[in-house]
Amino acid sequence: MLTKELLKQVKQIEIRTRGLVNEVFSGEYHSVFKGRGMEFSEVRDYQLGDDIRSIDWNVTARFGHPFVKVFEEERELTVMLLVDMSGSLSFGSVEKTKQQIAAELSAILAFSALKNNDKVGLILFSDQIEKFIPPKKGKSHSLRIIREVLSFEPQGNKTSLKTALEYFNHTIKKKAIVFLISDYFDIGYEKILRIVGKKHDLIGMVLSDLREKQLKEFGLIKFRDAETGEIKFVDTNSKGFLRSFMETQKRFNEYRRSLFLSSRLDSIEIETSYSYVKPLIDFFKMREKRW
Amino acid sequence: MFNDISFANSWALLLLLLLPILFYWYWKNKNRISPNINYSSFEMFGEVPKSLKERLAHLPAILRILALAFFIVAFARPQTFSSGENILTEGIDIAMVLDISGSMLAEDFKPNRLEAAKKVIDDFVKGRTTDKIGLVIFSGESFTQCPLTIDYVVLSNLLKDIYSGMIEDGTAIGNAIANGVNRLKDSKSKSKVLILLTDGVNNAGEIDPITAAQIAQNFGIRIYTVGVGTIGQAPYPFNTPFGKRYQMVPVEIDETLLKQISGITGGKYFRATNNRKLVEIYNEIDKLEKTRVEITSYRHAKELYFGWALSGLFLVLLEFGLSRTFLRKLP
Repeated sequence: MLTKELLKQVKQIEIRTRGLVNEVFSGEYHSVFKGRGMEFSEVRDYQLGDDIRSIDWNVTARFGHPFVKVFEEERELTVMLLVDMSGSLSFGSVEKTKQQIAAELSAILAFSALKNNDKVGLILFSDQIEKFIPPKKGKSHSLRIIREVLSFEPQGNKTSLKTALEYFNHTIKKKAIVFLISDYFDIGYEKILRIVGKKHDLIGMVLSDLREKQLKEFGLIKFRDAETGEIKFVDTNSKGFLRSFMETQKRFNEYRRSLFLSSRLDSIEIETSYSYVKPLIDFFKMREKRW
Repeated sequence: MFNDISFANSWALLLLLLLPILFYWYWKNKNRISPNINYSSFEMFGEVPKSLKERLAHLPAILRILALAFFIVAFARPQTFSSGENILTEGIDIAMVLDISGSMLAEDFKPNRLEAAKKVIDDFVKGRTTDKIGLVIFSGESFTQCPLTIDYVVLSNLLKDIYSGMIEDGTAIGNAIANGVNRLKDSKSKSKVLILLTDGVNNAGEIDPITAAQIAQNFGIRIYTVGVGTIGQAPYPFNTPFGKRYQMVPVEIDETLLKQISGITGGKYFRATNNRKLVEIYNEIDKLEKTRVEITSYRHAKELYFGWALSGLFLVLLEFGLSRTFLRKLP
């Protein structure tokens, strides 16, 4: 991808998501992901309009003119974005690929973090760790994260959630909010998911596509496996195939759902065919109620 | 089936060697030739045995290559040549003139002169291939048993039907020659031959044998004369109230006349005294009258490409139909 194009895309995503961040999610994000509480930060001269209740009498008495105490919310949250870069993400039957959706979600989360003065970090993974950006504050850092998600060319093609979670687990020691953005076509990650889930606030963002949920009788289709590169003809008219497809589908989904449920972790299911705004709002509402 | 097939453009068959290469190329590049749809992961499909359509996914390509093979064969122009019926040759014309007078029943030949002569003539006819042969019989009178023909089966059948006593007895050599000449005179053949077989003396008929021979000469007809009968006497069967009795009868052959006839027309006189000799004589005539004309033959080739081309077309249509209906592919 050309730098110019890339910058244009980053800009577009920034514009598109900024509205969402400022209007739709501004309050929710802030209240759902809370810090530890209010903390004293400094005293300063009393100014007209300051609440007299916040006057620090000790300091005022010592200096002879009024001082007020200033409190700040202790946030300093760390948001980690774990984004799946494997081949299967490059599929999308409607307007956008899962990859693009993942980039936009990352952008929303990064900007929300930026607005709320949180640190954002990024781990890109496939069946190996592709890129690690340590959590940091600042606009340019957020933009860099979006740029990386958009333009990164992964080495691996397959998915290993286990590798990603293990790497994250021994890199980030401080409690963080973890968004695991993937399509979850993987198994064998339950143990590490539970460990990470206990220590951190892990939220699964499950990307899926309409055509991964249902295939109709389209006849013979020449498919290419985005992860392995294998090419073969698939007869979507075959009853046996459709049944097996639905069963495999169900098995993957049930495995994931029951795993998240039993680990007491939240997940958001996002389909490429629909807007991701509604699932996000629903998610925030749900979290708000719980607190 | 393929024994008689030859190819007019046999070099085109070399193109068939390209087909395995083509197929190999197709198999190597089958994934690259047509576009494919990216899909997340085949893991989502689970393990299913291949369906019929999946097995037949490459059938259209194979059909197309097969059709190409058929077209190449058609292009090579397979042909058959039917050799027998199509060889045209110019032969000679032969009139066999056979004496069937009562004296031909004499048994100095086995079983008798007439049967021996019939057998020898039959063999002679079978030995010829491209000549037109006619059959004239005579005794007191003369008539044509079979006009000039190339159909030897008919000739042979008509020969079998001959028996002594069909006509009034006697020996009309002049009439017989004239009749034979009449058969031959309109023929366009370069060589005309008359073979006269007799065992007696001219004693009937309106035409003098020498005159008849001169007529024959005018028409360019050679006459071979064959006299049959032993030297001396021959046993001759008579029907008596006590059954068949044999009587020795002296053999009278007008050899001078026969020699004269053959002399005038440029033929030859033979004397047959027994069966073996008769066979030898006919063999000699056979050799003398070898077809000397050039055989201008051409072979008629029957083109067989049509079936191949049609099969190829059928395969193409089949491929076309299948790949648009049953085996339709996406994308």
